[in-house]
Amino acid sequence: MTDAARTTAESLAAPLTDPAARPRTVALRPFGLDGARTGPISAVTGLLLIAVWFLVSQHRLVPPLFLPAPGEVAAQFLSILEDGYAGATLWEHVSASLLRILAAALIAASLGIPLGLAMGLNRWAKGVLDTPIEFYWPLPPLAYLPLMIIWLGIGEVSKIALLTLAMFAPICLSAQAGLRSLPIERVNAALSLGATRWQLFRSIVLPSALPEILTSLRIAIGVGWSTLVAAELIAATRGIGFMIMSASHFLATDVVFVGIGIIAAWAFAFSYGMRLLESWLVPWKGKT
Amino acid sequence: MLRVQNASVFFPGRDGGVIHALDRASLDIDANSIVVALGASGCGKSTLLNAIAGFLPLSEGSITLDGQPVEGPGADRGVVFQKDTLLPWKSVLDNVALGLDFAGLPPRDRRDRAAELLRLVGLEGFAKSAPHELSGGMRQRVGIARALATDPKILLMDEPFGALDSLTREQMQELLIDVWARTGKRIFFITHSIEEALFLGTTVVVMSPRPGRIVARFDLDFVRRFAAERDVHAILSDPEFGDLHNRIRDLVHRPHHTAVHRAETLQ
Repeated sequence: MTDAARTTAESLAAPLTDPAARPRTVALRPFGLDGARTGPISAVTGLLLIAVWFLVSQHRLVPPLFLPAPGEVAAQFLSILEDGYAGATLWEHVSASLLRILAAALIAASLGIPLGLAMGLNRWAKGVLDTPIEFYWPLPPLAYLPLMIIWLGIGEVSKIALLTLAMFAPICLSAQAGLRSLPIERVNAALSLGATRWQLFRSIVLPSALPEILTSLRIAIGVGWSTLVAAELIAATRGIGFMIMSASHFLATDVVFVGIGIIAAWAFAFSYGMRLLESWLVPWKGKT
Repeated sequence: MLRVQNASVFFPGRDGGVIHALDRASLDIDANSIVVALGASGCGKSTLLNAIAGFLPLSEGSITLDGQPVEGPGADRGVVFQKDTLLPWKSVLDNVALGLDFAGLPPRDRRDRAAELLRLVGLEGFAKSAPHELSGGMRQRVGIARALATDPKILLMDEPFGALDSLTREQMQELLIDVWARTGKRIFFITHSIEEALFLGTTVVVMSPRPGRIVARFDLDFVRRFAAERDVHAILSDPEFGDLHNRIRDLVHRPHHTAVHRAETLQ
């Protein structure tokens, strides 16, 4: 070996034998976000917004009627937690709302998933159901709220029916989309392995549509929370939506803020829980 | 025996006309043979395979397997696809056992049989892996094991190694010959690689497009020699191999009207 060659070999070997000098790792230049971490930025943004809220209310830039100080909202939250609101404890309000949303989600899913799958598989199911669904689903729930009251009264039934209608369409449409995304080769492979119609449905079709269905459930529950206030406009005496609407009548802006905060926290928790459920039930999603 | 007689397929064309995808193809696939269909894209070779698999009805003609007419897909014809069709939510072992599950075998028998097949394709260590953890070549091995699980009478392979890199492809060809030598399965194999066709086929049928036709047929013994001697170099350097390679290349690249003449002289 010549001297020059030896030097080259030694200088090449050097960084690998020195554990302190970790080489600079590189990756292909990304386009767009490409999974870059945004969590810390979002957290700081949240803190900044609260700081701005503090400053604005501290210096009385906006009347407290419009924007109560963070301290007042916190105090109001504690007082509602302690004494309740409008003759019911905070948990009674929260559980009333939760019960409505979960009942509606259950009904919407148990109707929407099979009907959506049927619409993806059967000409008649698709043809018949398309008309009412395409007609009603772009409507804002507030528009058919009066009909719910006229038809179903002012009890729980009309509230849950309103939430169910709002949740049904996204679930049903996603179940159809889940079927459309099923590759024909996967069906043919199962048939050439001797699958019967039912085995094909249970072992291939349903699991293939599951990722889309779970995503739609997450979206539907989000829709449920956003429709909640409308549902609880109907002669309610319990519920977070009711609490917000009732507080607004008395210009109790701090209670409105508490209600909004509670809805936001629950909606976030549900969305997060659904994501956990997805990563547990469909760990293969996005990997092929 | 699998017998294809005067099989023709017409597809509806875009402008209201018809596309003649397969024109009176006839083919016999005997026990212990590998019949390779070779041709450029659009020559009807995948159409022919889809018809044999039962995914596609014929416009005219007939297909029978041991005298029984083929009337749809079934477990007596195992299919290996070009695109891997493994189920991402099942482990490698459960993917191989899928056909046995459909057949109603008890779980323990399914697992034993699937494990045995994984050994056959050299994947015994990967039973619990998820399909997305495997490389493309390994996934095709799983596909082969899965197709063999129901003990089909014939294995239909639609360009199974077409998407693999050429090094993996050579390994897979040798693996397939091993599997064939050990199981004695008859195989219908589609490719657009002349070398692959010559290396694997006991019979090679050359097809030409518009309309898709079988224009020539060669009976070969390279694959039996490889199974016996395991010497790739001897086969690739055999002058007969090079000679056939050139003849088939001329056939494939020949203008279509000449290919039609050739088909007529064959009949």
